[in-house]
Amino acid sequence: MRIAEPSSSALAERLAPYVLVAPAVLIIVALRLWPLALGVNFSFTGDGDLNGTPVGLGNYLELAADPLFRVSLRNVGLLVLLLPVAVAIPGLLATFIYLRVPGHRVYRSVYFFPAVLSPVIVGAIFNLMLGYDGPLNSLLGMVGAGPVDWLGDPGIAMFTVVGVHVWATFGMALVVFLAGFSTLDSSLLDAARVDGASLRQSIWHVIIPSLTRTIQFVFVTTMIGMLTSMFGLLFVMTSGGPEGATYLPEYYIWHQQGQLNRPALASAASTVLFVVMLVVGLLQITLLRRAGRQD
Amino acid sequence: MQQRTLWSALMAVALTVAGCGSATRTESPSGQASQPQQKLLVWDWKSGEAAAATYIEQAKADFAKRHPDVTVEFVAQPFDQYYTLLGTAIQTGKGPDVMLFNGGGQIRDRADALLPLDSYVAQDKSRLAGWDAFSKDGKIYAAPVTLQGHPIYYNKALYERAGLDPAAPPKTWSEFVSGCAAVKKATGAACFALGNKEGFGIQFFLSGLGSGVLTPEEYDDWIAGKRDWNSPGVKRIFELWKDVGDKGLNNDGANSTAMFSDVFRVFETGKAAHIIGLMSDIGHWNDFKEFLPPDKIGVMPAPVVTDGAVPSLPYDGGIGYAVAKWTKAPELAADLVRSLTSTGALTAFYGKAGAIVSDTTVDVSQAGPAVAAITAQIETGKPALHVALSSKTLDVMGRLSQQLLSGSTTVDKALEQLAASDRKG
Repeated sequence: MRIAEPSSSALAERLAPYVLVAPAVLIIVALRLWPLALGVNFSFTGDGDLNGTPVGLGNYLELAADPLFRVSLRNVGLLVLLLPVAVAIPGLLATFIYLRVPGHRVYRSVYFFPAVLSPVIVGAIFNLMLGYDGPLNSLLGMVGAGPVDWLGDPGIAMFTVVGVHVWATFGMALVVFLAGFSTLDSSLLDAARVDGASLRQSIWHVIIPSLTRTIQFVFVTTMIGMLTSMFGLLFVMTSGGPEGATYLPEYYIWHQQGQLNRPALASAASTVLFVVMLVVGLLQITLLRRAGRQD
Repeated sequence: MQQRTLWSALMAVALTVAGCGSATRTESPSGQASQPQQKLLVWDWKSGEAAAATYIEQAKADFAKRHPDVTVEFVAQPFDQYYTLLGTAIQTGKGPDVMLFNGGGQIRDRADALLPLDSYVAQDKSRLAGWDAFSKDGKIYAAPVTLQGHPIYYNKALYERAGLDPAAPPKTWSEFVSGCAAVKKATGAACFALGNKEGFGIQFFLSGLGSGVLTPEEYDDWIAGKRDWNSPGVKRIFELWKDVGDKGLNNDGANSTAMFSDVFRVFETGKAAHIIGLMSDIGHWNDFKEFLPPDKIGVMPAPVVTDGAVPSLPYDGGIGYAVAKWTKAPELAADLVRSLTSTGALTAFYGKAGAIVSDTTVDVSQAGPAVAAITAQIETGKPALHVALSSKTLDVMGRLSQQLLSGSTTVDKALEQLAASDRKG
């Protein structure tokens, strides 16, 4: 039984949780939300001679009219479209490892290896590999195909960079998939095999349904990775080029702030990117919630 | 219970204080009556390099002679982040007292954060060259350290193998192109080493060849800000850029070859006969000598494309030190800038880094024919065409130049966009 306490102590107990969360809340407010508000506020001011003076929606209108910013947003859309491929690759490879293809132990460690390399190193390696007079084009030349300007052709460069990004990061997703496989009920697969299911049928009807939650998780993390950590690769591999074809909002923001001395315009672009990420993030949370409800 | 509340409150306060405390900066003491130790903070991207070490030492010693009680701290920032960091400093109005700048757009865009130096550097005006790149609206904002320009270097060894006279480089564009054909036939080397991945190639091309296309009047008008993007001369330069690409005179994959520093390797290793390079302090004769002996590197004036053009060496102040408006000791800071451009310091910079420095009294007679050819042209040289453009226009020009090479835009359309961007300034 609880003994009745004096009222001051009750008050203290009621306040305790607030006091305990106060440091976290203060840090988030002071170091996250307040700068965010400052940044949004800053995006409504001008640059250069107009520094500090309010210009209303001027920066946002300029962004809307800037073909480069539109390209960067379109590239975000492209990344979203390429997401299934980026998820399918580690998924398939993990399946093969799970099904114990010959040499699966070697593959398991080899596939993870690129994940420990920094984007700058990966970028530098592929710059050499994919150079116009690089080894890949020499190889193509040997089999009779013409050289491809992997990083110099505006129609190809973005796919090249995404491909390299997937190569560099799919190891992590592979590990998540393998973890998912370890929870898979192998008797189901055995039963399918006994019933004469082909490889494709067992993947489609047994493996994928059992791994729904893992797949959704990988979707979300891959998406975040693609949208937030491509800067290093872009910086090293294409500098946003050729013809601005590989710009992403992050790179655009960096370019306007650091190279063209337009911090307010960069703030406006950051705000737009923030809204895009907010929408994507909320969609992902909904997706995860729905996945959680199924169980 | 009460005690728990108290403890958590204390924790909260402690955490907040610790969080904020580390961010506050102890103000440097201002030079008042008691005269405590004064300190000048310098930002640049050079002082960390081994080649610049003696230069910085000399400048520091020169400064210490006059101001023994002032400490000078050099902070070398990574160049690719330099202007980003500087932008943040300018935004907050706090940061270094003295800072390094590239001439041209980079400093002009930020001139309102800088102190005009005219009264401080009056004595150095005739000794140093390259002031224009650090001036805006008639005021000087930095003192030049090096001269940066775009000489056309050529590989004399390739010329010999093609049966051309390395001592008499082509004077006109048609001679130049036929010479290139001979080199290609004899050695397989391309005419130009071009790296346009970052879109810098067009800037070098415009400035390197511009004096062979525009008449002296057109050239001077361009520099003075009276730029007619529809004039036949300007159009010719961009047509030339496209032609050179279309006719295969560049190395393969120019749009994916980085200017820094893949393209310089292309030239050094004899895969191309010419390169429009730099004077200081990378991509220049001293850099090439790793593979090309100095006597095999030639420097030629721009080939004449249109009659009436008078080729001249395009150069400007390369890098220079400026003083921030917010500094508490403007005179001291300006004096440090003077030490950084003293003859002693600049001689050391030339000696160690091979930089063509702004000081015209430095003796360069030991450095070989390429340097002799460059320094001989400084007297008659003119500011480079691209340096007169804003960084925004240069950015647009970079992308358009890539489109011209790949064929996804036309010269007329490109010039239209450039004119629009240039008008906005």
